[in-house]
Amino acid sequence: MKTTKNRRSIRNASVSLAAAAALVLSGCTAGAIDSGDQATDSDSGSGSGSGEQVTLNAIFLPATWGTVVQEQLAPLYEQETGVKVNVELIGRDAIHEKMAVLFTSQDSSYDIFNLDYNWIPEFGQGGHLVPLDDALTAEDKADFLPLALEVATWGGQLLGVPQTVHPAVLWYNSALYEDAQTKADFLSSTGQELAAPATMEDWFTQVKFFDGRTFKGQELSGWAAQAAKGYGNVHTWLSFAFSYGCKPFNEDFTESTLSSSPECLQATSRWAEMMNYMPAGANEFTYDNVTAAAQQGTVATAIQWSWGQFATDIPGSSQTVGDWSITEMPAGPTGISSGHLAEWVISVSKYSKHVDEAIKFSVWLESKKNDVFQASNGGGDPVRFSSYSDPILTDELLPDGETARFRRHSVVLSAMNSAQPRPFFPGEEIWETTLSTELSAISLGERSVEEALARADEAQNKNLAQ
Amino acid sequence: MSIMKNNLSGARTASKQSGPRRGPRKAGFGPVAAMIPGVLFLAAIAIYPTIYSLSVSLTRWRLTTGEDPRFVGLENYANLLSDSSFWNSVRVTLVFVIFAVSIEFLIAFLMALLFFRGFPGDKLMRTLILLPMLCAPIVVGLLARFSLEPTFGIVNQLMRSFGLPTTEFLGSTELALPTLIAIDVWQWTPFLFLIFLAAMQGLPEEIIEASKLDGASWPKIIWHQFLPLLQYPLMVGILLRLIDSFRVYEIIFMTTRGGPIDATSTMSWQIYDVGFRSFTISYAAAYSWLLLLLVLFTVNLLIRRMVPKF
Repeated sequence: MKTTKNRRSIRNASVSLAAAAALVLSGCTAGAIDSGDQATDSDSGSGSGSGEQVTLNAIFLPATWGTVVQEQLAPLYEQETGVKVNVELIGRDAIHEKMAVLFTSQDSSYDIFNLDYNWIPEFGQGGHLVPLDDALTAEDKADFLPLALEVATWGGQLLGVPQTVHPAVLWYNSALYEDAQTKADFLSSTGQELAAPATMEDWFTQVKFFDGRTFKGQELSGWAAQAAKGYGNVHTWLSFAFSYGCKPFNEDFTESTLSSSPECLQATSRWAEMMNYMPAGANEFTYDNVTAAAQQGTVATAIQWSWGQFATDIPGSSQTVGDWSITEMPAGPTGISSGHLAEWVISVSKYSKHVDEAIKFSVWLESKKNDVFQASNGGGDPVRFSSYSDPILTDELLPDGETARFRRHSVVLSAMNSAQPRPFFPGEEIWETTLSTELSAISLGERSVEEALARADEAQNKNLAQ
Repeated sequence: MSIMKNNLSGARTASKQSGPRRGPRKAGFGPVAAMIPGVLFLAAIAIYPTIYSLSVSLTRWRLTTGEDPRFVGLENYANLLSDSSFWNSVRVTLVFVIFAVSIEFLIAFLMALLFFRGFPGDKLMRTLILLPMLCAPIVVGLLARFSLEPTFGIVNQLMRSFGLPTTEFLGSTELALPTLIAIDVWQWTPFLFLIFLAAMQGLPEEIIEASKLDGASWPKIIWHQFLPLLQYPLMVGILLRLIDSFRVYEIIFMTTRGGPIDATSTMSWQIYDVGFRSFTISYAAAYSWLLLLLVLFTVNLLIRRMVPKF
């Protein structure tokens, strides 16, 4: 009896140990299969040069420049070179998170990343990105917009190939500005001729005049811009700040100087004052809300990315096709006109197993031909000087046969001369979060400009100290 | 004394040799071995990460710098406890949890009572009521964002058609948190309803009949019979919702992102913000441990209040 019981115990124990071993080994096996897959991957594509076949994995933003790469350029590249590029489209925050986690574990799953340029210092400081200085020829470098290259560079090394730029500019409804009745009313009301505003004062006067008026059956708000907590309100505020000559930090980014800078206080006060002339619910406004308001013709002016004006020219979704024009940011009291720069770049992971192939693809994406191709297919404004004079873009018209599709490009090019990047240091993303909360408090009337900026300074200096 | 010891040891020996078996039988190594896979699995997915996060919380570590973690002791905890945004997040979290779970409990209990006796079409109604629970929270957040949008959202369109003013449900400091609570109530009341209804349908019919014969009114039956008998299912339901509410994140991510200002910045949101926007993973780990302690404290308090003998 005892022997039977012992035998049963031994059998149970053996089965359990076998199960445990199987479980543990299954983990190892899964890892082995994974590694095998990677090995297979590297052997499965068609090689360029060495005969080795390669599959690249890339992450892009699900914006138009990401979809152009996923749907058109990546398949084209495979046809031309035999190198397959899997392009995943994921949201901005998710890209940022994924990069940090993958880089920390030195993971080689992805070879190429689409970066918001303000991450370049952050990931550049950690040494996670491959320098691309030698990948571009001198001729290429001369053709890229200087500011576009500047914000892709950290520590003296080019860490990303610029893919698209979009400086913040002032949108204005030219149909409204050319309307005879509106012009007459404006003249009698202000004593000024109605024209696209050149200064902050002119713009403010116009915004107050337009707010509450009706045009083409729509009640107007003076202006709209991104104002939601997050990066939205910070990005809009930056265009005010730069045009007022505000410098949020000291030279070496060791101290936040918002509350001690008269320019920053002045810029923030004007921004806060103007928030009263935005549409209802403006505190939640994102890029899409601003675009939708422009498409519906419910705002007279807007601060928005240059590239976004495409959407107002789409007949199916816009009631204002061909109506919107752009001009540079109105100048502040000292005559500075400077919009905030937005730009996305293409970077190669240091942990990629196919660094050379990834560099080749990244550079190919921004060849002269492909820079034009992307712009022509709605993939954002070009990064090369030559693209702005390329007939493919300059000659393209809207379906009405009269209005140039890329009529804004001359302004974009000009705005790129004065645009400024976000504070270019590794802690920028945290700074945006900190400042955004305080700007949100100002726009909701919960804190005064002075108090909010002092709080932002205090919080940011604490971050810097840590 | 020595006589007593001798007697005791004698009794033990006697018991071992001839007395009846008391207590569980000796089971051998089999059952222990059977537990090994489970324990290993648990260790891999729960115990190790928990201990690891505790160790991380005692360091200074920012993911993107490429530097190794540096031991700083309790510095992160000290910084947190002196951080006003931490205390704000504790307040927001507690308000959210207390109001959301209380309202869900009340509505679910009343609905369960309504469905307990049945009525024509109750099965169809029951299915419809459960639908919100089946949606992913991220989808609910997205729906809420579009529906409550001030300019184009359907809720404001309807309000305007009734002559009501445009309301910033998610953009106002006063309304944002109550709106998030309302969204949570909409989605998760069916969960409690389901638990409560199932528990009520398991109650012995005789008790209700006997109470009725004794002349007890429905409110009295509910107070004196239902509530005591449903004590455990109620507690389980509330605890599950309570723990889940502490973790609220998706609807905040899709709607307010912690704003306006910091009106909806719960602890979970702050942990995400600190951990995955600024990548100060050590600070986020300390934050998580304080959240865990708060959840444990609250759950423990509730259990002691609701079921003193538990």
